[in-house]
Amino acid sequence: MTRTWSNAPAYAEVVRIGIRSMLAYRTRFFFSALQIIVQIYVLRVVFTSVYAGQGSVDGITLRTTVVYLTLANLQGFFSSSFLDYFIRSRVREGKIASELARPVGFLGQMLALQIGSTLAMLPLLVVAFPLAWLVGGMSGPASAGYGALYAVSLALAYVIIVLLGLIMGISAFWTLETTGIAMIYSLVAQFFAGALVPLWFFPGPLRVVANLLPFQAMGFVPVSIYLGLPDGGNPLAALGLQCFWVVALYLFARWFWGRAHHRVVIQGG
Amino acid sequence: MATAGICWDLAKAALRAQMEYRANFLVGILAGVVWQVTGFFTIWVILSRFHSIGGWTLGEIAFLYGLRLTAHGLWVVPFARLIDMDYMVREGEFDRFLIRPLNPMLQIITSRLRIAALGDLVGGVVLLSAASAKAGVDWSPVALVYLILVLIGGALAEAALQIGCAALSFRFLDTGGLRFLIDDAFNKFGGYPLKIFSGGMQFFLTWIVPMAFVAYLPAAVLLGRTGELRVSPVVAYLAPLVGLIWFVAAWRIWSWQSRNYQSSGH
Repeated sequence: MTRTWSNAPAYAEVVRIGIRSMLAYRTRFFFSALQIIVQIYVLRVVFTSVYAGQGSVDGITLRTTVVYLTLANLQGFFSSSFLDYFIRSRVREGKIASELARPVGFLGQMLALQIGSTLAMLPLLVVAFPLAWLVGGMSGPASAGYGALYAVSLALAYVIIVLLGLIMGISAFWTLETTGIAMIYSLVAQFFAGALVPLWFFPGPLRVVANLLPFQAMGFVPVSIYLGLPDGGNPLAALGLQCFWVVALYLFARWFWGRAHHRVVIQGG
Repeated sequence: MATAGICWDLAKAALRAQMEYRANFLVGILAGVVWQVTGFFTIWVILSRFHSIGGWTLGEIAFLYGLRLTAHGLWVVPFARLIDMDYMVREGEFDRFLIRPLNPMLQIITSRLRIAALGDLVGGVVLLSAASAKAGVDWSPVALVYLILVLIGGALAEAALQIGCAALSFRFLDTGGLRFLIDDAFNKFGGYPLKIFSGGMQFFLTWIVPMAFVAYLPAAVLLGRTGELRVSPVVAYLAPLVGLIWFVAAWRIWSWQSRNYQSSGH
């Protein structure tokens, strides 16, 4: 732990690198934020259409569903991890060597990079939030208590997202590529996080699958807590589930990185 | 005719280059399939709970989705290299296309085939065939000819928007984000019957960008649903022509804008 703190200036520098590399892609980033706004708009129209004037379906009102989808997508975008793409492209180009040569641990560096990139994204929230509100819908949390639990749950969700991004990125040490895998992962994760259809509308067997995967802890759990509708009615059980995934994924990431480190291939090196 | 021969040889060379990375190639195809499958899967999950969207049943929406997907594959397979447009202009790569005696756009088309998008084509055709039985499409010879024409027209319409935006690369350099946004919007809106959107949005998706002509209007014709359209059925019948007009206009804009190309300092 002391070693970690003595390295604090080095990590702060890596955070700055993360901020700068995200800002270098600000145009792309701006357009991907627009994609999320479009997604929220389309989902709002589709669900308004299928509700067809019914007050509530499965005890959930249209308004709740729209707020759910707006928040799930907005939150998913701003808490997204770019570590998967980052590690993949560094491995492909053989540039991962420069990260490995730095006198600070790889996992710590990746975490610092991720924090930097998230910090760089946050100011856009000033524009994205009102837009999302406008094309989708927004409401306050179910109660102040649920609001506080949401903050905790969101923090846990962020850790899970980052750990999963890291694990996916590390897999590039074996596969030496590919953007295809990264794309498949992000689509599957988005779907099972419940960003496109709230999990409460999933057909039974699919819901069972979703419950067994870590992805629901990335999106569905915090948003359902915000709305006061945690699965099973107990928000603390939902937080417990998230804690389980944090520990499990952290242990796996450490072990996985240990394996990967031993088989580094520097392309073109 | 000689031009066609040259194009064929260039395309074959591009294909061989791509097959060098076999794993990437296969994962690429799989990613394409997963991308499109999640899109349809989302609709399927919604319909498993709500039965119809805008009055369209699962079979009808699958048909609409199949139309869109097939048209999409038809444009992406040949035009994939456009993705690198910003890069080619910024790095001066476009020089290569100017010094060879073949139309630069034809060289771009033949420099890489996007095999991954074959997944879209296959998926689209499978969905289209399966859904047309379920949705009860009446396949008269006229309907079949119309289907082939709208698929080509849809591909041309989508290609036109992308080529038009790529033309901006010659002046503004960074257009990749905009083009990806358009591609993504086609993916997000295109699978739904557009009647669920507001009148203003439907007007926009018909007359400002030709999205309605890719799948919604043709599907309404083939499914016998022209009665619910906000435009005259005649407009829907002419969908292939609209795609062609957009494409010719976009090609001209692209050629005209390419005169603004300035090679970066070599």
